[in-house]
Amino acid sequence: MSTIVDLKTRLADTGYVVERSLAATILLMTDLGRPLLVEGDPGTGKTEIAKALARVRATRLIRLQCYEGLDTYNALYEWNYQRQLLAIQRASAGGQGAMLDDDALFSEKYLLKRPLLEALTEAVAPVLLIDEIDRADAAFEAFLLELLSDYQVSIPEMGTIAARTIPLVVLTSNGTRELSDALRRRCLYHFLDYPSFEKELSIVELRLPDLPRALAAQIVEFAQSLRRLDLKKKPGIAETLDWAASLLGFGISSLDEAGPERIRDSLAALLKTREDVLAMDRVTLDRLVATSC
Amino acid sequence: MEQVLAAKITGFVATIRANGFPVGIGEVEDAMRVAEATGVLAREPLRWGWRGLLCARADEWHRFDDLFDSYWLPPNRRVLVEAHTSGAGRIELDPGDGAEGGKAGPAIQRAEGESAGSGEEGPSKEGASAASSLDEADFRSLNDREQTHAIEIRIRRFARRLQLLTTRRERAAVQGRRLDLRRTLRRSIGAGGSPSRLSYRVKRRVRPRLVLLLDVSRSMSLYSFFYLRVARALAAELSDIHVFLYHTHLTHVSDALSDPDPWRAQERLQMLSAGWAGGTRIGECLAAFNRLHAGRLVHARTAVIVASDGYDTGEPGLLGRELGSLARRARRIIWLNPLKAMQGYTPVARGMQEALPFVDLFAPGHDLASLDQALSAILEVL
Repeated sequence: MSTIVDLKTRLADTGYVVERSLAATILLMTDLGRPLLVEGDPGTGKTEIAKALARVRATRLIRLQCYEGLDTYNALYEWNYQRQLLAIQRASAGGQGAMLDDDALFSEKYLLKRPLLEALTEAVAPVLLIDEIDRADAAFEAFLLELLSDYQVSIPEMGTIAARTIPLVVLTSNGTRELSDALRRRCLYHFLDYPSFEKELSIVELRLPDLPRALAAQIVEFAQSLRRLDLKKKPGIAETLDWAASLLGFGISSLDEAGPERIRDSLAALLKTREDVLAMDRVTLDRLVATSC
Repeated sequence: MEQVLAAKITGFVATIRANGFPVGIGEVEDAMRVAEATGVLAREPLRWGWRGLLCARADEWHRFDDLFDSYWLPPNRRVLVEAHTSGAGRIELDPGDGAEGGKAGPAIQRAEGESAGSGEEGPSKEGASAASSLDEADFRSLNDREQTHAIEIRIRRFARRLQLLTTRRERAAVQGRRLDLRRTLRRSIGAGGSPSRLSYRVKRRVRPRLVLLLDVSRSMSLYSFFYLRVARALAAELSDIHVFLYHTHLTHVSDALSDPDPWRAQERLQMLSAGWAGGTRIGECLAAFNRLHAGRLVHARTAVIVASDGYDTGEPGLLGRELGSLARRARRIIWLNPLKAMQGYTPVARGMQEALPFVDLFAPGHDLASLDQALSAILEVL
């Protein structure tokens, strides 16, 4: 129990507010040696988990951003062909071609480490963030599954490289593509919902300490009721923070005093699609401001 | 760990599994380790730990709390849990067992183990028979939630096959790639003129696309509900699918279908289709599709699936003309007509007569088997 609270406060010190349930799950990652799969709508702070975790543990954060067509060359390792070629040319020019054997050519010196291999060869266990795994294709997912269960990779020219330390792996997914059951089962799972009023308020206060308390509460209430509307893209925590920062920049001390025009001007930080901006007419805006004051 | 406790935890994992969670044997062991780490008396940390361990997707995450409560809380807290998978049937909390539930494990656990032995008529049991009967069940007669859920699972599987297909095609295409000589030479300068890295021309990829045109007129009303579910299941898996409903007008409903909230999706669909008059003007709707959407949506790897019984009340000749011009754009036109499954059916309806020359595949699509067949045929040519 105490360790959960402890981790929660340490995460809060680095600027990341978690529920206790997530703190408990993070503790389990090390106990069970399993990766953590985080799902949730965009803007709920999935990626931030890994960043905060790296800050708390004072280790490196190694990030692999997935995209369609990501292959092992970009994710794991690649040979530095240019340097190899230069070495060969230098050796043959110096007349000592016999000195340069295969082992020297395929050594760590000419190996370009990509994020996954880098994470395995760190001296201190890093935090490995595999972001938006759902964007990579199924073949890469299968490869990742193998890596995450054995924590070793085999490079044909060099042999097998086992992990020096087991990294803390955080995977995030937006649900673009359904992930395989095998990968899901391998991971601990956490679903990040949009934050409650209290949680969002404490995040805003933590990130923007200059913001007047009353305004912070109004902003959060506004964002919360905005999420209840039928919007195409609901604003996440990042959007709330952006909006709060922009209101702070205007020097506004409360929403009702600011007037609908200035609120409307600043809404670009919250609403990211044309349909949503159009849907936010005068009446809707007035009602939202009235309910959040 | 004490044996009683271990048995109870094993029972919990079994309950979770019976409710459709993908947990294996390994998870039991890990669940015990979680319990050891957090301590068995701390209920909330235990809940959080197990939730992280045993859930694998969002809907399980939301159902977990109810299952946890109904298993571990005293039996006076009654949470009815319904199984969503086809295998386990419905699990009920028997009120008569409330008293002993406390020590012998709650009733929820019994339903799984004993119902088979006591000869009780369970709603549905896993096995080939259930699957095959579902295959041939006419969509008209399906109203059970579990059956519709099973159908959704099947459709999602098809959608995944479609996705795999795209990656396989793309990999196969790599073998035939062509050198981009200009770029290769330009890039070789850094390496002293030896072309150490070859550049290839990148082929523009055209992904297969599905366009669904669903007839929602009154004569099709028994089936259109199911086609909508099929469309929704497909839309959940594929991003490149475009669904239109038609009747006397044509409406684009992809946005409403892919709404993450199923209830809201249904509401939006009802609003979209509200206030339509009777009659079906297939020809006019196809013309509207050709004029407004076809140029943007239909390319050489597009399969257009039309679901309709072919009873057209519009201007004669229009349907044939419009379908003909659509057929020139699309890779395949598939026409699903549930009437075709009836004995002695001949496509004599004028609409059908006009359409048939341009249709590549004319299938009944009235049950899962024929739908599967039609969809597989699409897979082969896309």
